[in-house]
Amino acid sequence: MLRYVTRRILEMFLALLGTSILVFLMIHLIPGDPALLVAGLEAGPEVVEQIRRELGLDQPLYIQYWSFLTDALRGDLGTSIRMNIPVLEEIVDRLPITLTIAVGGTILATLFGIVTGVLAAVHHNRFQDALVMVGALLAASTPSYWLGLMLMLVFSLSLGWLPSIGIRTPAHYVLPIVTLAGQSGGIISRMTRSAMLDVLGQDYVRAARARGQRERVVIARHALENALIPVISIVGLRFGNLLAGTVLVESVFAIPGVGRLLVDAVLWRDYPMIQGTMLFVAGVFVVVNTATDLLYGVVDPRIRVAGD
Amino acid sequence: MTKWTPSVPCIIRVFMKRTCGLHRRVFAALRFLFAECETRNPLLAVFCLSVAAGLSMSCGTETQRNSVIFASSADATTLDPHNTTDSQSDQVIWMLYNALIRYDENMHFVPDLAESWSVAEDDVTWTFKLRRGVRFHDGTPFDAHAVKGNFERVLDPEGGHNRRSLFLPIERVEVVDDFTVNIVTEYPFGAFEPMMAHVSAAIVSPETARKYGKDFGYSAEAVAGTGPYRVVRWRKDLELVLERNDDYWGKLGKLDRIIYRPIPEAASRVIALEAGDVDVITHIPPADLPRLEKDPDVTVTKTLSIGAQQFRFHCKREPFTDPRVRRAVAYAIDRKSIIDNLMPGMVAPSTGPLTPRIRGRADLGEFPYDPEKARELLTEAGYRDGFETKITTTPRYIMGVEIAQAVAAQLAEVGIRVEIEVLEWGSIRRYWGGLLPEDCPLEIFIMGAGASSADADWGLRPIFSTQERNENNYGFYSNAEFDELILKAMREIDTEKRNALYRRAQEIVYLEDPGAVWMYDNYHVVGSRATVHDLTTSPLGLVTFERAYLKP
Repeated sequence: MLRYVTRRILEMFLALLGTSILVFLMIHLIPGDPALLVAGLEAGPEVVEQIRRELGLDQPLYIQYWSFLTDALRGDLGTSIRMNIPVLEEIVDRLPITLTIAVGGTILATLFGIVTGVLAAVHHNRFQDALVMVGALLAASTPSYWLGLMLMLVFSLSLGWLPSIGIRTPAHYVLPIVTLAGQSGGIISRMTRSAMLDVLGQDYVRAARARGQRERVVIARHALENALIPVISIVGLRFGNLLAGTVLVESVFAIPGVGRLLVDAVLWRDYPMIQGTMLFVAGVFVVVNTATDLLYGVVDPRIRVAGD
Repeated sequence: MTKWTPSVPCIIRVFMKRTCGLHRRVFAALRFLFAECETRNPLLAVFCLSVAAGLSMSCGTETQRNSVIFASSADATTLDPHNTTDSQSDQVIWMLYNALIRYDENMHFVPDLAESWSVAEDDVTWTFKLRRGVRFHDGTPFDAHAVKGNFERVLDPEGGHNRRSLFLPIERVEVVDDFTVNIVTEYPFGAFEPMMAHVSAAIVSPETARKYGKDFGYSAEAVAGTGPYRVVRWRKDLELVLERNDDYWGKLGKLDRIIYRPIPEAASRVIALEAGDVDVITHIPPADLPRLEKDPDVTVTKTLSIGAQQFRFHCKREPFTDPRVRRAVAYAIDRKSIIDNLMPGMVAPSTGPLTPRIRGRADLGEFPYDPEKARELLTEAGYRDGFETKITTTPRYIMGVEIAQAVAAQLAEVGIRVEIEVLEWGSIRRYWGGLLPEDCPLEIFIMGAGASSADADWGLRPIFSTQERNENNYGFYSNAEFDELILKAMREIDTEKRNALYRRAQEIVYLEDPGAVWMYDNYHVVGSRATVHDLTTSPLGLVTFERAYLKP
């Protein structure tokens, strides 16, 4: 187990290094010049040149990357071009908001998905099943920015129950989390249903019933626990999607999280900020994936044994 | 399985009971629906109650306040006047700082930190008598040395401030005594007063500016001006909170606080205003305007701006080297139908290269729509069968893509076949600035232009006078007579003579040898809750709150 864990953690660092190189190359491939954007439309050429020099953009790419890497290893992700503040500080400041929404979304989506999925599987081919499946399909195929606006129209504008934008009180988190959870909830629901149907048809379930186990125990203990493995892997993957989804949700609800930081950074070609946020998001994603892999071991003893 | 189902209606019920703004009729209807589902599980009930209690905490806290929440599309970038290049920053800066002089609503110059000012016989020495007893927010007294320090700060080539180019005509600043200062220009500079009323001429505290250096203006602590409000908190992209400066030298503000909360998504911004979560918004999408105008709780105001939307030509690229071709394009566009169909009530057709709010502008009338004339001009220029070209546009401008499509359709009528290229702001911006004509792939391109000093010099000289590289003249426009007139006007401080020179220059660039097709002059459209009174929107598009107050 220990070897397995160390290997996973080493792989994690390699993945981060790879990400940083890829991101660095990508941001220099997208056209645009941060100096021009910062200087504004009315600035003269000498001002633009001065800004370019100060940002080190006149240096060759490999030197720029090397200085980024060495600074990053010392824990300095540089200074934002647009906001003139330390990148790391700003990300750390905003990460709790984004993580709360992403984790909240994952939990809600998982709860919703598993409950409805099990419900549908248990009532296979009956009214409840059809209802859940249509609902899940709708949820899975609704774009989150549209869902967000609709929720806002209904719950903030028409009913006035929830605040529309910003993030200051717990109530502000409700709509963004629901918006974010929608798609994944639908997908997890369908996933759970098919996994449950698979398991419910197996002999050992029939055997459990034959032994006279109560239906609740059969479903919750015998069937669900075995159906969870594919569901866990999809939840782990969905977390990445949800983290990415915060980019949209944070724009719609005007939430100052990491996602919006990234969008603005790309629009402004704020290289250090893009680099920093991408690294952070990739880091969270890799950590969660590693955790998911380790979690398999907990749920499924076979994987634990194979890993050793 | 069915045991789990009561939780959903339970949450909704308890939630509805507990939250504020409860709508009784909806509630009654829903209660009827959920009447069957009595909570059977006490644990669940406790959980629901606590969730609902947590949620309802948010309500009712903002009812008793004397503050205004303002939502623009983006946060201020900087609160350093010497660095600002966007209106989001500009409008906050005007709440925090004063300049020596400023524009009033009718675009006349009025004293601000200067009590009076005059120009000497030599036409280059401007003397300002300064207001006494003014202190910056950090306690530093305001005097002639502060003024000198400010202009030296922005003009320092090593400082790298974005607005340095604006002040280049200044040769030196002399302190005569503590409250008299002379500003000497290199040559008689016709746009001197507009330059001094520009937001970047706002005076910052020399003490705080020295202390923070390059970081001045980028955090709540690193800001100090003399203005009616001061910064108390700045959490980027979340909120920027200003508080009334009770030691202000002028008339005190009526609002206790002004809170800036940027909302990037236009649809969300409108909903937030309608829901009453914010009090004032800008950048309203055309589709939402009629609805807001009908809403009795919302006031919509429109102010003619200094900005106009144009399509510019790459004048060094065939066939646009020929003025007849550019005129043909201008004749072929039906501005009225574009405005009526795409942006009704949001813009006014252009009547010259500068909008009516700019000093020195000439009213040259709307450019006529005449496809016949366009075909004639094309035939004359040797393009009887038209030609193929490309329009580059960006969604950064409101309806930027739709307008380009409409223009393309109209140009097709006279035989000009247009391909449309849509670029995001950063990608189009890279073609603007410092390129040689052969390196710039643009042909016809959209551009929003306005003179941030509200004066003809800044509105024409940088963007149309001959430049080898397209440093600011992004379309490589070049006309010798125009260049001469602009330079002459720049060195003329007699307003009448100056206006005559500019009139001729505008005739050239608008009618005879067009440097662009002017589409329309923008209005600044501001939506506010009906409880907010006496907001000011300047022609520069800046919403300010000096006199604003709340009354239900």
